[in-house]
Amino acid sequence: MPEDVGRIFDIQKFSLHDGPGIRTVVFLKGCPMGCAWCSNPGSRKLRVLPVRDPDNPSVFTADSRDYSIDEVIRVCLQDLPFYEESGGGVTLSGGEAMVQHQFTTRLLRKLKARGIHTAIETTGYASPGIFRKIVAAVDLLIIDVKHHDRKLHKQWTTVSNELPLRNLAWALDAGAEVLVRIPVIPGVNARCEDAEAFSRLLAPLGVRDVQLLPFHQFGERKYELLGWDYRMSGVPPLHEEDLTEYVRTFDNFGVHAFF
Amino acid sequence: MSTLVDSTVNVEGPHFGRLTPRMAAWREELMETPQSVCVERAMLTTETYRQHQGEPMVLRRALMLKNVLENMSIFIEPATLICGNQASANRAAPIMPEYAMDWVIAELDEFDQRPGDRFTITEDAKEQLRGIAPYWEHNTLKDRGLSLMPPASRQFYDLGIIHPEGNITSGDAHIAVYYERVLAEGLSGYLARTAALLAALDLTEPDQLRKSFFYRSVHIALTAVIDFAHRYSALAADLASCEPDEARRAELVEMSRVLAKVPEHPADTFAEAVQAVWLVQLTLQIESNGHSLSYGRFDQFMNRFYEADLEAGRITPDQATELLTNLWLKTMTLAKIRGWSHTRFSAGGPLYQNVTVGGQTPEGLDAVNPLSYLVLRSVAQTRLPQPNLTVRYHRGLADDFMMECIEVMRLGFGMPAFNSDEVIIPSLINKGVEKSDAYNYSAIGCVEVAVPGKWGYRCTGMSFLNFPKTLLTAMNNGVDPKSGELIATPVKSFTAMTNFDELMEAWDVTVREFQRHAVILDSACDIALEENVADILCSALVEDCLGRGKPIKEGGAVYDFISGLQVGIANLGDSLAAIKKCVFDDRTITSTELWDALMNDFAGVRGKEIQAALANAPKYGNDDDYVDELLVQAYDSCIDEIFKHHNTRYGRGPIGGGYYAGTSSISANVPQGASTMATPDGRNAGQPLAEGCSPSHGADTHGPTAVFKSVSKLDTARITGGVLLNQKVTPQVLAKEADRKKLILLLRTFFNRLDGFHVQYNVVDRATLLDAQVHPERHRDLIVRVAGYSAFFNVLSRATQDDIIARTEQTL
Repeated sequence: MPEDVGRIFDIQKFSLHDGPGIRTVVFLKGCPMGCAWCSNPGSRKLRVLPVRDPDNPSVFTADSRDYSIDEVIRVCLQDLPFYEESGGGVTLSGGEAMVQHQFTTRLLRKLKARGIHTAIETTGYASPGIFRKIVAAVDLLIIDVKHHDRKLHKQWTTVSNELPLRNLAWALDAGAEVLVRIPVIPGVNARCEDAEAFSRLLAPLGVRDVQLLPFHQFGERKYELLGWDYRMSGVPPLHEEDLTEYVRTFDNFGVHAFF
Repeated sequence: MSTLVDSTVNVEGPHFGRLTPRMAAWREELMETPQSVCVERAMLTTETYRQHQGEPMVLRRALMLKNVLENMSIFIEPATLICGNQASANRAAPIMPEYAMDWVIAELDEFDQRPGDRFTITEDAKEQLRGIAPYWEHNTLKDRGLSLMPPASRQFYDLGIIHPEGNITSGDAHIAVYYERVLAEGLSGYLARTAALLAALDLTEPDQLRKSFFYRSVHIALTAVIDFAHRYSALAADLASCEPDEARRAELVEMSRVLAKVPEHPADTFAEAVQAVWLVQLTLQIESNGHSLSYGRFDQFMNRFYEADLEAGRITPDQATELLTNLWLKTMTLAKIRGWSHTRFSAGGPLYQNVTVGGQTPEGLDAVNPLSYLVLRSVAQTRLPQPNLTVRYHRGLADDFMMECIEVMRLGFGMPAFNSDEVIIPSLINKGVEKSDAYNYSAIGCVEVAVPGKWGYRCTGMSFLNFPKTLLTAMNNGVDPKSGELIATPVKSFTAMTNFDELMEAWDVTVREFQRHAVILDSACDIALEENVADILCSALVEDCLGRGKPIKEGGAVYDFISGLQVGIANLGDSLAAIKKCVFDDRTITSTELWDALMNDFAGVRGKEIQAALANAPKYGNDDDYVDELLVQAYDSCIDEIFKHHNTRYGRGPIGGGYYAGTSSISANVPQGASTMATPDGRNAGQPLAEGCSPSHGADTHGPTAVFKSVSKLDTARITGGVLLNQKVTPQVLAKEADRKKLILLLRTFFNRLDGFHVQYNVVDRATLLDAQVHPERHRDLIVRVAGYSAFFNVLSRATQDDIIARTEQTL
């Protein structure tokens, strides 16, 4: 695809949990990971997928389309007054926003040129060159650490955690603004032993705070609409009150965990 | 900055604490009291009117009030600390025959059979009403109003296209009187001024002779209110003498003392001020059955009493809160019965008695005071549809007060509404309102605004103009498609139009004509109201009626603007956009196909296809200029026309005397939709229209920022009658403090930067979410917000939806 065209499956305004203030989140297609619990499963494929219409499941629609940079900028700028009043901005998410790295980099630079605060939600799974280029162009790096154990990381996400951790360490060293997030998934990384292991992994890198994202089942029906199997089917969601001990364990090991 | 009074409530209890046990019990009792009909006001009024048929109308009106207040049943509830009842029982609606009796008699046997807003009535009461009915034949406000409507305009009334029913079947109200002065001077002060003005008249001057009638009537009305208070004083003393409970006996003795003093004399304590305000608020609603009679800026004119009592150790915040909850329960005891045809325009029997808090001082400082917090707390405790709570927003409104407002919002009963000083004050000053008065505006009813105590009735009009019907008539060459009658100048049939501009031209011609008829109907109603049902008490308490020696309706008020009410704003914009897109831009539907589909209510396969195509066209509420700009352009035609016209007080004293636009359609969107055929936005015949300036139901799929942006494109500065925006919020967004703070920032952006006028939130409740499971297509605007996730509620699995619904119950 040309570098000023991006494949996007949603642009969501008034997003409250993807960085500071009131934000617009641009969801980009394509992801190198295959997390079992992914809540935007169609976003893994870069190609446009047919997906059933939730209101009318006999009809298929395209799950994404191509946007020019200018179109994305235009939509994002519509909410400029809200960003300014709330200290918000634009967050690029996905999928993995670093897959379409040329588009992502240009978009971030153009947004920045307009004075808009930018953030990226990433798995951190990108070649270091691309990762560094994008981190240099963004105001806030929101990076997931999905598992502390290399093998289990691979088992649940299809890739090892070495590259994301290396990238994270670099970003912290480079003084980037970083928010580490952990998706807390039952049966994967939700025991207190996991919290301890996460802390032992992250504290030496200089991570002081981690945001926990309790497992939810919001993506469940998307698998059905895509006609895909879902490994987490029927697993009950976690709520904040289920994770009191988990949070405390982080605290005990010098890392502040919050929701 | 003011301090928050006692916000540290028991962590286990609700944020705002609970009603005292006696108020809680009384609230339950009121909620369970069925509405009924009381005939006392009707019988006593008929008696006065018969006896004093020869008197000038103003005197007859005052004598009527006197007769009612002297002879109606009074009682003091066991729980109450303030006195004053509207009818022979709580929640009983008085019949007010001088406004209209035809519907009363016609519907007598149906009052208790209605599908909603039911009223019980005894056979005896029916007989009494039938007995007085002959006197009122051809003798009511409604008869007079109808006779004053010129035939061409009357046609719009008869066809239900313009609906001024509420204007000729009841009084105006939509007003707040000058409570500040009532409390400072007492009615005795008003009486003294009246006497002096009367004595100074030269009765050889016919104009001054006329004023003398008004002054004499004011004297009668004010004296009647004072005597009414004294009746309660005596009753409280009687009850005290046989009250076994010592504490209650002391309360009754105190009530007797207070009612001997106020509202006749100035109030000195908070309890006296509350009692004085209630007795006046009540008698105004015995005098006239107009609704939206509002308290004005309650926290501003009452706080001095509260703070003085606090300082003197005469009251605690909890005692003051109980008194306020008592006042709100009293406010809830009032009832109004409307004819069935009009009831549907005001579903739920609301009286829209507004209480406004917050805002700014004339110096532009934050006016929030300790009583502002107590008002929030007391309204949160009573959690009733009355009073209607409005918070005046401004840039300097502190976050902690906004947070308290959000806490009220979380209770899920649709309050408070926010009105914004940032757009309203400049808009008032621009219309000639003195700066100090503009800074003192309050909400009246729901969203409309006026300067309390200085503004004439009905700052919002009651002539509902149905925009979609106007558009359909414009498309149909001036013929009302429903009745087949020619009601407007033919421009061109839609099926013969070759480009979109022709449609906009037809719209422009037709809406201006319709708007002129709306003004004519408004004036006809106003002339009838002026001639038949002057409110003497209300006029006496609004500046400068005494000075000018005439009632409000003759031009007694300092300011007098009214607005029309335009209904179906979003449907108009969506219809125009759908026509432009499908018929003229994309040419997927021919004009004949569209017109046939509308006439057939989208029947058949092709009809459904057309409806789907129309539904997919751009919709207002999504920050899409394609549709938003068409709406602004079309609405401007109407607004331009409205601004050209005068009301019946023009040139008779008040500043203003004109019109502006307004959209506070209350529940009129439902019956207005019921009588409207299918519309080009894809809406089926009979479905409700969109309410106020809100997007059509479920059409706003891009979240609240996009809604605010769309609304902000309207010409708000000229829609002073109110830009009503109702928004939904899911309880999840209100559950965490961090998110509540972002909601405040959302509101601040709307008001500080986008000229937002009003917004009110309904918390999405369990019932709505359950309905979304059954009818996902109706709830496309329900968005789930979690980090890094994108989808709507209807994309969630059933189990996840159930989980959210279960947790919704918990957070509320």
